[in-house]
Amino acid sequence: MKNGKLLVAPTVLWLCVFFIIPMLIVVAVSFASRTPYGQVVFNWTFSNYQRFAEALYISIFGQTLVVAFITTVVTILMGYPVAWSIAKLPKKWQQPGLVIVMAPFWINFLIRSYAWVIILRSQGVINTILLKLGLITTPLQMLYNEGAVMLGMIYALLPFMVLPIYVSIEQLDRRLLEAAADLGAAPMTAFRKITLPLTMPGIAAGTILVFISSLGMFVVPDVMGGAKSALIGNLIQNQFLSARDWPFGSALSIVLAVLSLVLIMLYYKVLNTQKGGADDAKDVA
Amino acid sequence: MKKKRGLLLAAIITGSILLLSGCGGGDKKGGASGDKKVLNIYSWADYYAPEVIADFEKKYNCKVTYDVYSNNEELLAKMQAGGAQFDIIQPSDYMVTTMIKLDMLEKLDKSKLPNAANITKDLQHPAYDPNEDYSLAYVWGITGIVYNQKFVKEAPTSWADLWKPEYKGHVILLNDCREAFSFALKKNGWSNNSTDPAQVGKAFQDLKALNSNVLAYDTENIKQKFIAEEAWIGQMWSGDAAYCYTDNKNINFVVPKEGSLIWADNMAIPKGCKNKDLALAFINYMYDPDVSAKNFNYIRVPNPNEKAWPKMNAATLNNPMLKVGNASIKKGEWLHDIGNAISMYDKYWTELKTGK
Repeated sequence: MKNGKLLVAPTVLWLCVFFIIPMLIVVAVSFASRTPYGQVVFNWTFSNYQRFAEALYISIFGQTLVVAFITTVVTILMGYPVAWSIAKLPKKWQQPGLVIVMAPFWINFLIRSYAWVIILRSQGVINTILLKLGLITTPLQMLYNEGAVMLGMIYALLPFMVLPIYVSIEQLDRRLLEAAADLGAAPMTAFRKITLPLTMPGIAAGTILVFISSLGMFVVPDVMGGAKSALIGNLIQNQFLSARDWPFGSALSIVLAVLSLVLIMLYYKVLNTQKGGADDAKDVA
Repeated sequence: MKKKRGLLLAAIITGSILLLSGCGGGDKKGGASGDKKVLNIYSWADYYAPEVIADFEKKYNCKVTYDVYSNNEELLAKMQAGGAQFDIIQPSDYMVTTMIKLDMLEKLDKSKLPNAANITKDLQHPAYDPNEDYSLAYVWGITGIVYNQKFVKEAPTSWADLWKPEYKGHVILLNDCREAFSFALKKNGWSNNSTDPAQVGKAFQDLKALNSNVLAYDTENIKQKFIAEEAWIGQMWSGDAAYCYTDNKNINFVVPKEGSLIWADNMAIPKGCKNKDLALAFINYMYDPDVSAKNFNYIRVPNPNEKAWPKMNAATLNNPMLKVGNASIKKGEWLHDIGNAISMYDKYWTELKTGK
């Protein structure tokens, strides 16, 4: 046991130095102000948080939440069938299936975003093909709009939904489904009463991963959205660069972090009340 | 003011550079390799021809190191942290003002810089450092309208041309708050440093009206958007326009009649520099007409060194974009640090990006 603690020590030290201390600095800076030349002065003020309460910034937060919510729902709807199909493959094909899902991670995300630009832009792959086939006469404008932002987000985060759901489906006890069938449950009923509740932990893990990641996303709106729709990530980035207002940027980061935490806690609370349902399913079976 | 390029990468790299510099990077800088002196340059990427640096090392029997930053704020943060020992830094115009105010720059000893006289007259008294006490313009540029002659038949002359309805969905603006407000203010005949709420408010209304024409806001990939003909018309830096022209000859560039924003990255010596004589020698060397011509043939951006122009090669010298730039210095207005008024700009800027 002693040795175990020793093994954990480097990680704890790492987290303290590179996570907790920087986080505390961000908290401290969020109560400071900026000088006319963009320097940070510590005068312990709440003004950065008060400024956040303006309608403009609230609406950006709202917009970000909507985008994150849609991304999460769509990745669940798309990811679940994919995870299901992979889990149903013969054992030797499951590994390759997962590799295909993870393959995009081998390439840097920024580069993959630009790949989308090359595919979708007016002289891009799709437009060129459609023009050659004579299906359209002028290039379609597929980039630099909200649809392109959604596409980029869903594309980027889909694997984070597929993998945890796959794990939970893979662990599902097939005998429960057989028992349900024997007892006369239609496949849809069995799915609703057994599979879905028992794979809920996978959906929950995927939801958290996707939702939190999409809240902080700023590359996609910039590269694929043409920087026209600001999400909270872009707003924060802007405060640290062109506006040179580190205190306000820090305050926004803290609000985002707290909001994420609260949402996760609420989410788990809702799940826990449903967990009773899952146990019931097991009992019934 | 330039190129906040590579968003994510820059953030990561900056982070790791800051960390590394905290862990003894300073020793490397201070220590001389053998008896040789070391000159440490901290500047923008791709600002020196390697050959020119090698010649200097030979001539002065020294070693030159070259570290890069991607925006002025990064430079300021690093100099304020004080960990690094640099001999030459290259702040942009408004950052020179800030650094002078913060007492971070050494006064330049002009008696050791005879070649400073080679700088074209129009750039010898820039508003941010009127007597060149602390800085010399090294690279400069001007923002103008770039357009593709294939789609834009009538050459634009005014910033107001961007609002023409026929360009709907094909206009690109720089993804930079001060740049965007700069041309909207100029269009109305006002200074691009205006802090008058009424003027900035009107500029905001104009930009909001322009939003329906805008395809994208972009600084990092704007060149590709014009080369690939996604965009027809927009706002661009002269240096970038010159780059686009080499790849797509339909591209043209004009500095509108109302005037525009001019910028320069400068040679400066940070306070407390230990190799002041070598730093001065380096600055003087870089303004030698032969050296300068060789350097700018390689880096291909507008050269403020008038005496070097006749010595530069034809391809660089005849690039129409660089020519337009040189002829328009007087139309440019320098951007100043506007202090707390930046908050007003930033709020409008944020609103512009969210307003549907």
